[in-house]
Amino acid sequence: MKGSRCLHQLKSLRLLSHAGRRLPPPAAAAAAGDNGALFRLHSSSLLGGSQCPQREVLRHFHSSPARTKSQPARFVQEEDKTRDKSLVAHDDLFEQVAKETKTKATFNKVIDVYTKRDIRRRGHVEFIYAALKKMPEFGVEKDLTVYNKLLDVFPKEVFVPQNFIQRMFNHYPRQQECGVQLLEQMESYGIMPNTETKVLLVQIFGEKTHPMRKYQRIMYWFPKFMHANPFPIPKQLPEDPVDLARFSLTRMANDWDAKVTVYQLPCTDITDSGAEVTLPHIVGIQSPSQMEALAKHNPCRPVFVEGPFPLWMRKTCVYYYVLRADPAPPEEKLDLDLDRDLGDDESFDVEDLDDGPVFAMCMTSQGDQATLNQWISGLQQSNPILGQIPTLFRLGAGPRELQGVGDTDSASGTWFSSHAHKEEADPGEDGEAVVEEEPRRSQGVKQ
Amino acid sequence: MSLPRITHLPSGRLLSTILHHQPLLPSIIPLTVPKRAVIQGEYRRPGQPKKTKFAWQKINFNFSKGLEGIKKHFTLLKKEFTDRWVGPEGKPIVEHMLEQNRVVWEFRGPESLREWTVSSDREIGGHSEAYLKLGRNNNTCFLYGTLSSTPPRDGETRYSGYCTMRSKQPLASFDRKKHHDWSSFNTLQLRVRGDGRPWMINVSAETYFSHQKDDIYCYFLYTRGGPYWQDVKIPFSKFFLTHRGRVQDDQHPVWLDKVVQRKIPSQSDDKTDVSLP
Repeated sequence: MKGSRCLHQLKSLRLLSHAGRRLPPPAAAAAAGDNGALFRLHSSSLLGGSQCPQREVLRHFHSSPARTKSQPARFVQEEDKTRDKSLVAHDDLFEQVAKETKTKATFNKVIDVYTKRDIRRRGHVEFIYAALKKMPEFGVEKDLTVYNKLLDVFPKEVFVPQNFIQRMFNHYPRQQECGVQLLEQMESYGIMPNTETKVLLVQIFGEKTHPMRKYQRIMYWFPKFMHANPFPIPKQLPEDPVDLARFSLTRMANDWDAKVTVYQLPCTDITDSGAEVTLPHIVGIQSPSQMEALAKHNPCRPVFVEGPFPLWMRKTCVYYYVLRADPAPPEEKLDLDLDRDLGDDESFDVEDLDDGPVFAMCMTSQGDQATLNQWISGLQQSNPILGQIPTLFRLGAGPRELQGVGDTDSASGTWFSSHAHKEEADPGEDGEAVVEEEPRRSQGVKQ
Repeated sequence: MSLPRITHLPSGRLLSTILHHQPLLPSIIPLTVPKRAVIQGEYRRPGQPKKTKFAWQKINFNFSKGLEGIKKHFTLLKKEFTDRWVGPEGKPIVEHMLEQNRVVWEFRGPESLREWTVSSDREIGGHSEAYLKLGRNNNTCFLYGTLSSTPPRDGETRYSGYCTMRSKQPLASFDRKKHHDWSSFNTLQLRVRGDGRPWMINVSAETYFSHQKDDIYCYFLYTRGGPYWQDVKIPFSKFFLTHRGRVQDDQHPVWLDKVVQRKIPSQSDDKTDVSLP
């Protein structure tokens, strides 16, 4: 019984592999997705047995076609005979094919050139490693169909262990490692494999092998962690800086009621002298509770505009500025005696961590004082008390300096000034230029 | 580097032992198969000189250090003797039984920074840097630096770019190792303010076998970014077991009675600032 089942399995695998080898590559590429296996089976029933080219190596029972190879595989390609005969990496193939543009189509073309070249797929391990390395350049590292196509490069059924001894002793270790590396690159880019990947892995390596185990681990852990982020970021962030600012400000604000205001859209102005002046976008956010807190703020104590602080969303970094005041001195704090339980630990006072109330936030591409002044003036429309409160600027090194190579001068360079809103006729209260000594970051920061 | 000698291990674990530190570069032909002893001692990175110092040469004999040490250790010893009369772990038994939360780490001054070790990519040859200082008002600690994900060119590291903040092993008198007993708690609560990047929380427990030395229980810490403090509560049941960075197949809950260290690593591409209270 078991023997006949084995035979049947072998036969079906052989049909599958024959179909897999004989299908023209574009059709194979089109068979991506869940229909992959079905398509192959269907075509095998159409073609099965009718074509049998001489080059096809028939599968012998209890042995693999590898044994019929007479000479050892060589890495030298025909085109490279003129070059020196040292180990030729398969990167050259990629560079030859796509000298002008590197796209998914050209990447697929390279794979097709390689697969059609030799039915024995000599040097496929090195080819797959080279392809994995080149994927980011071609921009296909996040594409599951490309990974499946690359996995298809492996010859089928050759590496499947046939008995328990082969299973025990890491049958075809280099190929198994290569398969695992391919899956690991998929895992590091966060791509979930699909059924076609599984079918390919079973055909190539069989069950209970390392690539299959790796696939099973990915399929176990990825769904667990996919939604673990309580603040998810969409895969495609908005391109428009104003939209990006709006999204990130709503993300940071702790309040559903917070309102985003666009104070200025990015535009390019031409001044009288003919010089082009680019005005940056200014997007601010403030919630009603923040407006109330600002209205209740003591005008004697200044508020500070601090920034820029980085916010990272996947690989994008945006900078935001904050309008906040210093924390209230202890005597002004109210000790709200809410109901306290016996088990509450009263020695750890959470209020000590208060960094000062935040009144508003804004994002702008150009963080100099003029732009921030504009923001404050815009804020003043809805918070008239800002006219009476002295506003000090505590700005760190700007994003431009952060992106470039910073030297120690710029690292410690912080500048402070004060801004007096001239709307209110109360010059005595407005602060003069005050220089504060408190550096934002210490000397060790490299930028 | 090629595959190590394969021993007959159950197939689930074989994968994790093969893939430690051993990415295969295709064009390098391995000349020798490295022999790895079953007991995993200290791994010597390629390029590092062999340390052939004898054990007695590592001891630093210094008179003033000795005096300070005597004072410190005897104070600790005296405290240990007297604490037993107060109650378990130096607290009255009523408090020990009824406590709902225990503050383990808080930053209230420069001494609290000495409990933490900051390390980064630099120790394996990368280009990241990380520093720790006290934040504003001396109430918080501020971990900042630069991360760079270019892997060091030693032929075996593929991914790089991390920085971690690690709590030191608690020590009793005469530098004996102590552990935290968190068996009466089930959640870890942190107050953090990050810059939007995901971090990880690692907890490691004291183990009996040396094979389990690198067993770490991990979970993710997602920061929102922004100027507001974020309260993060992670139940200990969510932590999953990893060994040397690889998630293991056999998972079990954290052994809370022998907790030794807490680590907060981050991996990403560029400059990072994370503030932690």
